[in-house]
Amino acid sequence: MKMTYKRLAAILWTACLMCTLLSWRAEGQTSRGTDIAVVVNPDTPISDLSLADVRKVLLGERQYWSSKLPVVLLIRAPVARERDVVLKVIYQMSEDQFKQYWVAKIFRAEAATPPKIVYSNDMQYELVTAMPGAIAFVDARNVRPGLKVLRVDGHLPGEANYPLR
Amino acid sequence: MHRGLVVTAMLALAAGAAWGQSPPASEQAEQVKALLERVEQLEKRVAELEARPAAASVTTAAVTAPSAAPNPEVQQEAAKPEPSHQMEGHMDQAAVRQMEPHYPNLQIRGFADMDFSATDQKGTTSGFNLGQLDLHLASALSPKISYFGEMTFTAHPTNYTVEVERSIIRYDYNDYFKISFGRYHTPIGYWNTAFHHGAWLETSIDRPEIVKVGGTYTPIHFVGFLVEGNIPSGGAGLAYSVGVGNGRGDTISRPGDAGDNNNNRAWVANVFARPVKLYGLQIGASVYRDKITFAGGRNFREWITSAHLAWTRGDPEFLAEFSNVNHRQYFTNVSTNNPGFYVQMGYRLPWFEKTLKPYYRFEYLHTPENEAVFTNLDLVESIFGLRYDISSYAAFKTEYRRASRLPGTPTINGLFLQTSFTF
Repeated sequence: MKMTYKRLAAILWTACLMCTLLSWRAEGQTSRGTDIAVVVNPDTPISDLSLADVRKVLLGERQYWSSKLPVVLLIRAPVARERDVVLKVIYQMSEDQFKQYWVAKIFRAEAATPPKIVYSNDMQYELVTAMPGAIAFVDARNVRPGLKVLRVDGHLPGEANYPLR
Repeated sequence: MHRGLVVTAMLALAAGAAWGQSPPASEQAEQVKALLERVEQLEKRVAELEARPAAASVTTAAVTAPSAAPNPEVQQEAAKPEPSHQMEGHMDQAAVRQMEPHYPNLQIRGFADMDFSATDQKGTTSGFNLGQLDLHLASALSPKISYFGEMTFTAHPTNYTVEVERSIIRYDYNDYFKISFGRYHTPIGYWNTAFHHGAWLETSIDRPEIVKVGGTYTPIHFVGFLVEGNIPSGGAGLAYSVGVGNGRGDTISRPGDAGDNNNNRAWVANVFARPVKLYGLQIGASVYRDKITFAGGRNFREWITSAHLAWTRGDPEFLAEFSNVNHRQYFTNVSTNNPGFYVQMGYRLPWFEKTLKPYYRFEYLHTPENEAVFTNLDLVESIFGLRYDISSYAAFKTEYRRASRLPGTPTINGLFLQTSFTF
């Protein structure tokens, strides 16, 4: 028995060391480009989120803005730059890992539906303005009137230290 | 073992052929990217044209300037541009209507696997076997009410068994309070609620012994109600689940689906943290208490404590779960402890588009000689495996296992192969 616990301690120690060494790298950031704005339906009772909060929303760990207003998550279809930035900076996942994450999330009964996939900025704009609780990620140059742009970590797109770019 | 090698070679050849037939992904991606860029340009052009008639009255057009910091208030108060083209307006509205949630909606997903095993254990034969066919249903009945169901079809020597693994209706009040009723995977530890029956979701071919489906060590299922949600805790990312239910049935590997066999309800509580600053880490602890009643009238109090640590980002992946099952007989007051744990490590290699993931798992389980509820479950096992994700939704897994059970019995070596997928 003593040998087994010693073996366990050795395995745990080695694993911790490996985790520390292997995960030691810079935060996922895309090559510098235009900022990606986080936009919500104007009726959403929120105007500032930390990057950690944005991550919680995207991971489906925060599913309600308030008890009466569920989050409706909109994500651009693959290859759009907005999606690349969201995957690399927030999810820190590859395209496959992202798909697998949502299959598992629904399978675990932690969410009833995956994020809605939108194929263009027009579609995204229409959906955010029409659906209460909707949140989407838009190239800051394409933000249109009628959307509410959230501050992320206290910064708006275009400001220094804005984290989504 | 030779036959096993032949099969491995055949699978490798098939995988190679399938790989060769797939179109070059990078070329497709480039084409799609070019098309999307074109769509973006056209959208911008349409937006400019739409904005022209309104430009005289709306003076907040500065939002389109790349360096300008959009002011949320300005965005909110600004007038919505009116579409200049009737047809486009109709198309957008139709798309929006299509995307809006409709109730009830239903999503069906399936999981399946096909396995091969060959061991040097006397009295066993090598061969293929059909794993579980698993169907999962998720249905939103309203914005706050959801149904989740899971059914499995499992092959046996003379027939198939169909089992309702989970059937849950859940009402969400908010992120902090969600109540559900039905048949669950008991929220003890990590693995039992992270992977359920979908073999494709697991890195390894099979579950660890302490959470084995059909095993007795952990009560895998639970019939009753569960309250769960987040705990306001800032960066600690705490969450909880607390449940009350029937607990173990007459056959202790099964829950009391059709009613409890005593008047004592089982209860379970699980707390875990996903710290904000350590994205990917989960640390948790669970307790479970039940009264086990055997047909002969013998009663035992069961007390399960469990702790887990999981780093799930894949590069590396690390899962460790420790559990102890304590039984105390009501009449004799004899108490026994049954410790068990597993530690699993995996690393997604940076080559081949991160499709290869070697992993290792060590498992340990001990039942004392005077244990009266479990038959002997002793196990010390090492598993060396390789997972190859052939696509986003299908994987090949290969494992070499070396296990020893009772002292004095020979060590068993085995080769295990699996292809698992979701559809």
